[in-house]
Amino acid sequence: MRTPLLLSLAGSAVLAGFSVAALPFSRGLFRAPRTPYDASEATFTVPAWILLRRAAEVVPPEASVVVRTEPPDATNDSYLHRFAVALLPGRKIIPAAMWSIPTPPEALSGSDYEIVVGSVPPTPSGRLVLSIPEGTVWKRRP
Amino acid sequence: MRSGYLWLASLAAFPLVGTPLLAHPSFRRFGVACRFVLAAGVGMVLLSGTMTVWALAGWRWGPILLLVSAAVAFALRGLIPKGSDPAPLATQREIGAEGRSTPAIALLCACVSITAALAATLAARSTSPDLLLFWGPKAQQFAAARTIDAGFLSAPYLEYLHVYYPPLVTNVLAFGAMVAGRFPWGAATLTFPLLLAATGVALFGILRTDGSADRAAAASSLILSALALIGIHAAVAGNAEPFLLFFELPAVALLVTPAARSDAGKLLAGLFLAGAAAAKVEGLPFVGAVVLLFVLLDRAASRPLARTAILLLGPTAVSLGVWFAFGASRKVFYGYRGYGRSMEFHWDHFSGVGSAIGSALWKVGYALPFAVPILLLLAIRPGRGRALLPLGVAAAVSVFLLLTYLQSADDPRLWIAWSAARTFSPVTALVALATFGAREPR
Repeated sequence: MRTPLLLSLAGSAVLAGFSVAALPFSRGLFRAPRTPYDASEATFTVPAWILLRRAAEVVPPEASVVVRTEPPDATNDSYLHRFAVALLPGRKIIPAAMWSIPTPPEALSGSDYEIVVGSVPPTPSGRLVLSIPEGTVWKRRP
Repeated sequence: MRSGYLWLASLAAFPLVGTPLLAHPSFRRFGVACRFVLAAGVGMVLLSGTMTVWALAGWRWGPILLLVSAAVAFALRGLIPKGSDPAPLATQREIGAEGRSTPAIALLCACVSITAALAATLAARSTSPDLLLFWGPKAQQFAAARTIDAGFLSAPYLEYLHVYYPPLVTNVLAFGAMVAGRFPWGAATLTFPLLLAATGVALFGILRTDGSADRAAAASSLILSALALIGIHAAVAGNAEPFLLFFELPAVALLVTPAARSDAGKLLAGLFLAGAAAAKVEGLPFVGAVVLLFVLLDRAASRPLARTAILLLGPTAVSLGVWFAFGASRKVFYGYRGYGRSMEFHWDHFSGVGSAIGSALWKVGYALPFAVPILLLLAIRPGRGRALLPLGVAAAVSVFLLLTYLQSADDPRLWIAWSAARTFSPVTALVALATFGAREPR
């Protein structure tokens, strides 16, 4: 075998070996993940993903929804708005924050549902319709 | 789960659409597997283009799209004159006359890399946040609306969707979502290992027409191994990079092999260049660099110049022309947006950008997927003719990316940290492709 080919194959073998080494063996490679982000660097999306997928079963189409974190965090709330647009199709998503700037409270008060990622809010804003470890869903109007 | 399988099954539509063109005798030299993959690429370009034309015309998407795009594929055969043959028969006979050890080892390395990419994707190790942030929501909404939904793209609070991004990735994802009845997020991430494998098959099938299955196998394996490692670390599953690379690399491979001397080869390269331009914004400067360098470096193959320009650039012009016409007619966007003022670069960020890029590449397997191809290139010292096109394009893409990062008025280091390994992946793949031109022993 010629030297250039041997070098190329050696390079491929090294890179292939590093690809195998990059696999998340310690997290259970053969266990089905709960979300597409379980073992990624974007694990912060996992609780929101789980809650929003469950919320899609109880929040009807066309409803207006605010998604936020508890305790409040404008940067996380900005991302939650985007996640909700993706995972709650057909609903009107009102951002609790945009580009890390909180939305004025009066703009949020008209929403039909409030989805809270994290702890139960100290002053609940309506009737509880879903509670799971990742967060809660509240119906604001009767 | 069922929608995921249906979505994956819908991918079979793409080779079906492209088959009328790839069934032309001029493409027989590439072998059955390679032609199947090339037909899928042509099918993606034509079906996505037809979907965009339909959206521009205000028509809802339906099954007729498949017939129309397949008819376009058939009509494109008219551009191939009789006797247009990408590889002479004499060359073909030599293929297979070499030993089997090199292709076998190369295949083993490629299979290990693809299996690792598949395992990383299934284990949710490499899913891109961009899938959740904009590719998925757009595809999901377009599938529900049965068109490119201008109302969604111009809705308040949704500016972050990058509305001007070219349409191929969202169209392809949306097509499957229409078939499946909903958007299956997990199945969409499988485009990473699937397109990686398809890229390898296409590269090997094209490069081996140059007469050496050994060199073709070694170069294809090196490219695949580098891209798998980058993709796993940089989380490209569900993002546009696998699509971009699937179109970019076979296009350049076609232009460094005897296929470049035929109209059939140029047309196929032109369609794949259009796929690259319609997959990501940086696909457009890539196309410009490829065509310009091809004309400058291979003057014999690029004659007649006007016909070569039409074959190589025509599909891109039509594809992006329709997209920009859609954006302007709906008052959603007018061309591409930069990340700052055009032609204003923040040179004071230069050292920070350089160190941030270095740091981002280092985090991907200690920069090995970038360093190994460069070191091999220096050790192998390939012949000038074949290496100059991929190396020149790699340099042009690098300059474009550097200038893009320098355009940002804000500190771009965070942006670079999560994007540079992905955006520079075509550069290292092109450097690896340049090793294909290794000198024959005297």
